[in-house]
Amino acid sequence: MIGTSLCRWANSYFAVAILWLLLAEGLIVVGFGFPNSDIGGPDTLVIVHIVCIGWVSTVLCGALFQFVPVLVARPLYAERLTLPALALLTLGLTVLLAGFLALGGHFNGPPWLLPFGASLLIAGFALVVANLGMTLWSARPLPGPARFVAGGLACVCVTAVFGGMFSLVLSGTAIGAQWPDLLESGVPIHAIAGLGGWLTFTAMGVSYRLLAMFMLAPDGDARLGRPAWLAGVAALTIGLVGGVLALWRMTGLNPALLLAGASALLSLAAYGRDVLGLYEARKRRTLELNTRMSLVAVASLVAAALLAAALLATSSFPLHVGTIAFLVAFGWLTGLVLANLYKIVPFLTWLETYGPVMGRVPTPRVQDLVAERRALKWFVLFFAGSWAATLMLLIDAAFGFRVAVAVVMLATLGLSEEFIRARRLADVTGPLRLPAGAAAPHLLVSRN
Amino acid sequence: MTEFIDVDVRPILRAGGEPFSVIMAALERLEPGEGLRLYAPFKPVPLFDVMASKGFAHREAELEGGEWEIRFMRDDGSCEAAEAACATSGDSDWPEPVVHLDNRDLDPPEPMVRILAAMGRLAPGQTLCALLSREPVFLFRELTKRGHQWRGGFTSKDAYQLTVRVHA
Repeated sequence: MIGTSLCRWANSYFAVAILWLLLAEGLIVVGFGFPNSDIGGPDTLVIVHIVCIGWVSTVLCGALFQFVPVLVARPLYAERLTLPALALLTLGLTVLLAGFLALGGHFNGPPWLLPFGASLLIAGFALVVANLGMTLWSARPLPGPARFVAGGLACVCVTAVFGGMFSLVLSGTAIGAQWPDLLESGVPIHAIAGLGGWLTFTAMGVSYRLLAMFMLAPDGDARLGRPAWLAGVAALTIGLVGGVLALWRMTGLNPALLLAGASALLSLAAYGRDVLGLYEARKRRTLELNTRMSLVAVASLVAAALLAAALLATSSFPLHVGTIAFLVAFGWLTGLVLANLYKIVPFLTWLETYGPVMGRVPTPRVQDLVAERRALKWFVLFFAGSWAATLMLLIDAAFGFRVAVAVVMLATLGLSEEFIRARRLADVTGPLRLPAGAAAPHLLVSRN
Repeated sequence: MTEFIDVDVRPILRAGGEPFSVIMAALERLEPGEGLRLYAPFKPVPLFDVMASKGFAHREAELEGGEWEIRFMRDDGSCEAAEAACATSGDSDWPEPVVHLDNRDLDPPEPMVRILAAMGRLAPGQTLCALLSREPVFLFRELTKRGHQWRGGFTSKDAYQLTVRVHA
């Protein structure tokens, strides 16, 4: 029965993350990275890491700092560690990107850029994992959704360890030279743990609780999420253990990946069924824009899974890894995050602004902080652009892909403006906007 | 009307002992219709799952000094029936609620707005009782800031009962 307070820096995390997303989209639009260059090349690595670390990981960390306390009804272990973590993640990613650019011959950088950037990132993620881990630890036994987050935190550790080792190999250090085969077998582990374990698994767990919370759906069923959790843990374990065994040449990599993929599909199927169940059981009949758009994001995830299965069946999967990765990163993760930010930012702003005067003077509703009709067109553009871009990758049309991503970027800019308008209370009109005793919120920092 | 058997594990824990067997022994001695009232120096969250697996629902109330009073009742529907009795036995120092709100079907954060608005109309020391569909984690910080006291807990899978007393 401990009250949850506002995380001071959550909005700063969101803002930094959106800037990274816009940078990634901008780079793709001007033709930087895949598909105009090699999928494993340094330029593509720049884009992949901006999207996965700068955008999705940063926004996820901010959301977790705010919502893990809600998941487990415990205060955050150390609020004061949230800002240093953001600084380390941002600085670490910047140095890492410089390392990739040097590797790609864009400038003459020292060889220590990659390992140094990786170390800063590992330090940043260590602060995040320690902070959230201690919060979860204080709430044992963990409720279902929080277990997904715990699994995700374990996976980000694996991702970071492999990333650190790659940085040593890629920068040509003596230590890295001892692992000549690391990149070949290690990259799938790095990607499975990062995209599958940390980003997708954690997003699944948080969405269970947030969807139920915002739709007034009963989420007390102990079975909710259990099949998705068990199959997901199986997928990650098989993928990671199989990958490590393959690294030591004890087994081939492909059988492990195939088994892990099958378990992952099972997990996603169970998750999809749970989410549909929550939508059906909701008491709130009219769906708000954020819940409708979350559903579209989940549809993208289903589409990615089906596409991956079809490509595997026709043995053309290796040719189209980039297509699947793009659909997962944009249609699913980015779509889900933007849809939820569209609720989270106004909700936190409302709580911060009107909480102190609530019950004393009339206050606007959370819905009054947004204009759904205006935002809907940005979401439509976003998903249409993401799917068009996926299609362009599938048919190998590099220019068409860039045009589609330009549409996605335009939609991102539009949604960013919506978030800023919510923070500025721009859509709340009349005397309700700032009643006596309420103070206008700052753009990036919350009063808690 | 549920009768409660009291088990106070605070002295056992203070002495460095392990109270689990004492609780289980008390559980075995319960007659039909009887519940267990547990006093603990912290909220015994791990115990809730154990008790749920044995068919016991619980209601929790924070006491002064961070200590907890937990009432375990057989989860056969008698929990809700015993609700009135629970409220009077545990909350004897709190007056009967003057306002009852059923906020279970309201869109968040409307339940919170209604509770805070109703609290503003109460006199010091008076109480309000509200039913909610989930634990109102964001409301607690506002109650704390305003100096109100509260007690609450799940009375069934999807009903959370909250009693708030206006700062006297």
